[in-house]
Amino acid sequence: MTQFVQNLIDGLGNGSTYALLAVGVSMLFGVMHLVNFAHGELLTISAYVIYGMRSNDISWWATIPVAILSAVMLSMLIEFVAFRRVRTASAFTLLLTSFAIEILSHAAWRIGVSSTPRRYTAPDIAFKVVEVGPFNIEVWDVVSIGVAVACFVGTAIMLRTTMFGLSIRAASEDFDAARLMGVKANRVISGAFAFAGLLAGIAAALWLVRRGQADPRMGAEPLLKAVIAAIIGGLGSLPGAVVGGLALGVAEVYFRSWLPSDLQGLTDSFVFVLIAVLFVVRPQGLFDVQSAERV
Amino acid sequence: MTAPAAPVADPAVRHLTGAMSRSQMRSVALPSLVANWVLLAALFAVGVLYASGGSSARDLLISDLLINLVLVLGFHIFIGNTGVLSFGHLGIASVAAYTMALLAVPSERKIVLIPNAPWGIPEIELSPLVASLIGVGVGVVVAALLGFVAARTSGLAATMITLAFLAIVRQVAENRKDLTGGAQNLSSVPRLDGWSWPLLGAFLAVMIAVFFRSSKTGRLAVATREDELAAGAMGIEVFTPRLVAFVVSGGLVAFGGILRVQSLGSIGPSQFSFEFTILILAMLVVGGMRTVTGAIAGTVFITVGKEVTRYLGDGPDLLGISLPVVDGLPDLFLAGSLLAVLLTRPNGLLGEFDVGSWLTRRFRRPQRAAESSDGPDEALDVDTVLAVPAVPAVPAVSGTGAASESGALTTAGLGVVFGGFTAVDDVSITVAPGRIHGLIGPNGAGKTTFVNLLTGLVEPTTGTVHIGDKELRGAPYKRARDGVSRTFQNLRIFPSLSVRENVAVADLIAHDHRSHRSAVSVDDLLALSGLSHMADRTASTLDYGNQRRLEIARAAALRPDFLLLDEPTSGMSSSESLEMVDHVRRVASAIGAGVLVIDHDLGFITNICEHVTVLDQGAILAEGTAEEIQRDQRVIDAYLGSGHG
Repeated sequence: MTQFVQNLIDGLGNGSTYALLAVGVSMLFGVMHLVNFAHGELLTISAYVIYGMRSNDISWWATIPVAILSAVMLSMLIEFVAFRRVRTASAFTLLLTSFAIEILSHAAWRIGVSSTPRRYTAPDIAFKVVEVGPFNIEVWDVVSIGVAVACFVGTAIMLRTTMFGLSIRAASEDFDAARLMGVKANRVISGAFAFAGLLAGIAAALWLVRRGQADPRMGAEPLLKAVIAAIIGGLGSLPGAVVGGLALGVAEVYFRSWLPSDLQGLTDSFVFVLIAVLFVVRPQGLFDVQSAERV
Repeated sequence: MTAPAAPVADPAVRHLTGAMSRSQMRSVALPSLVANWVLLAALFAVGVLYASGGSSARDLLISDLLINLVLVLGFHIFIGNTGVLSFGHLGIASVAAYTMALLAVPSERKIVLIPNAPWGIPEIELSPLVASLIGVGVGVVVAALLGFVAARTSGLAATMITLAFLAIVRQVAENRKDLTGGAQNLSSVPRLDGWSWPLLGAFLAVMIAVFFRSSKTGRLAVATREDELAAGAMGIEVFTPRLVAFVVSGGLVAFGGILRVQSLGSIGPSQFSFEFTILILAMLVVGGMRTVTGAIAGTVFITVGKEVTRYLGDGPDLLGISLPVVDGLPDLFLAGSLLAVLLTRPNGLLGEFDVGSWLTRRFRRPQRAAESSDGPDEALDVDTVLAVPAVPAVPAVSGTGAASESGALTTAGLGVVFGGFTAVDDVSITVAPGRIHGLIGPNGAGKTTFVNLLTGLVEPTTGTVHIGDKELRGAPYKRARDGVSRTFQNLRIFPSLSVRENVAVADLIAHDHRSHRSAVSVDDLLALSGLSHMADRTASTLDYGNQRRLEIARAAALRPDFLLLDEPTSGMSSSESLEMVDHVRRVASAIGAGVLVIDHDLGFITNICEHVTVLDQGAILAEGTAEEIQRDQRVIDAYLGSGHG
């Protein structure tokens, strides 16, 4: 039982990062039917910003906002340079474009910095553990979960109360109809990219404080997890993305502790097979986007 | 449940049309094959010239290029023809190549490398050729399994599943160390010398790709790529052509993967990686994924580009300036060119260009013009309304003669509720065979929904549809094969196919499933629609009126019992609408089909139809002859928007 709760806390800590990314992925899918594999590159730029600022001894308090801001800027830049041109293109072109941007980013960091990882020192709080009763709780897990929950609540409020939130919801329902009602396509898409970038920047900060290094391909894996989470939750459904992200984080920890050691390396494969089965049985994801509120 | 009595077309005529479409097909495939072979041979000759002046690394480059071409053409067969993006094909290549390697690596090496391998693998030692054949066979089986899942789901889901498959294969290869040796490569794979096998493979791959594209399955797959919905309405099932395309392409990719491993002499889990997949996809997309020529061009372009950037990145002395060493330049080139092409020319640098069909068109054009000037084409083109010669055994549209050939199209209590909204409510109509029946109603009356219910695009909440005593049920493609074919309000042609191919694809389905109906040849239908002289043009380049006529010709080519025309005059001027009246009559009479025309234009409908049903707010408001309807006060009210409720 102790182990069970311990795993749950670890899993939610990991899962909150996935969920923050997944909400962005799902939001972009909602407004332009794009599964954005370039979204993970926002983590990479944040990492290099942290590396750059920390190696000049700039305090973490100043570094983190700049890292988040860089993610937002890059997200908007990618939209402006690339996705704006292919907005009405087929899902095929959109998907391949996002992969091309991902590879381009990898190559750019290799050429611009180096293919070898750049290290920076983590702050003390990153690995601090407190004992609460029988549990060893990492402070940063609690911070991650708290920040993520705050972000989800903030997102929900934003979607319900602001004009921008309304535009995003309208565009997710029916983009053409939304445009006829006066929603400006470029503005809402650019805004969605900025917002998704903000969530990715926050996810990056939470993850990178502990990670301690920046390397060109680092964004690919967490993004893949986020995409899986978004798919589990039903692409386009933001509550689904949150649940999908947390579920994936927890599932991974349990898989790792339950699978026999010679199957450990196959954790991802088990997840993939489950997803594939899910896709065939329930193509709309676990949560029915039709009946659930589609925000 | 007896099938309605059908007029049997003259078997000789039917045989002739079948033979014609087959010979026509061959006439497309052969020049394309020869032209692409010549192109490949020419490029290879250039490559050999380049290699003869340099080190053995250049030989390797050529065999690499040829093997990559096999892989690219393998990808092309599925992705190019179905329009579904797959990331999983190199996973198939990996499985096939591992199979080959496990069977062909000498026993004494396997005992050292993988002593604990199951199934007595360390003792097995087959010749490379046999092992390769088994490898391709295993690849085909894996492709069939994966394709079964991928072809069942829609585009994006298929892409994600194949991506997951690639990751799974890699992870399994990394973790089943007893079988694969894990991250340590399985070496001592019997090696191929030189580029003779890769060259043979490339020629073979070109042949398979060209023949697949012109095969029946290939043409049906392309139709589903162009417009899945319209393909379904033409009786084309999506699953089977996609599955077959996946299996053929998987087999070719398996072959390419085996060639690659045999040219390297070793295999490891990271060889068929995601990055390699992107490289192959870039080669496919940059050149133009839809044609064999595009695939060849893209492969050459990316290979040469990567080679040049690799040279530049190594920090050479160029014109007396020594350049800095730049790591990752080839990747930058790859991603940059892929992105640039996607953003500016999403169909690739060559688009739809294929050297074979280009040459065919170039040399055929004068001949065809000469043919048509004294052929029957022109005579038909002119307004010879209702006087349609050249079509055997066509029942006249008027009279009751047509009634004997099939039953009436009837709906009984057809209705659908969306959420709480009743879009169509208890609609029962009967369209007599061979008659033109109108369905009108103001915007939002449920006309298009009614057609969607009839054709199976929307599942009805209540009611049934029959032709004669045969019930229409299930997916749209099944109902199309049972005798209803339709056009769409918002016009759904196959945009990047030629005008002729648009019609010919429907004819292909008719040949298999509607052969009890008398056939009207593709050429006659084109002539009837005034499209003969633009038969080779890409459909999307036609003007709006001609696209409308093309869509009707395509629907007619299916030899339906009933043609369903959803607002055929939408967006047309009144004079164009009048022409459309004649056109619809002509086509219907030529194929001996009944017609259900949906429109909101009262004038058009009463002009063309003997019998009219008026729909308002989802339910039947009035029914009768055209004159009765025009005088009906309720109809007038509904149209003028006054006092109904």
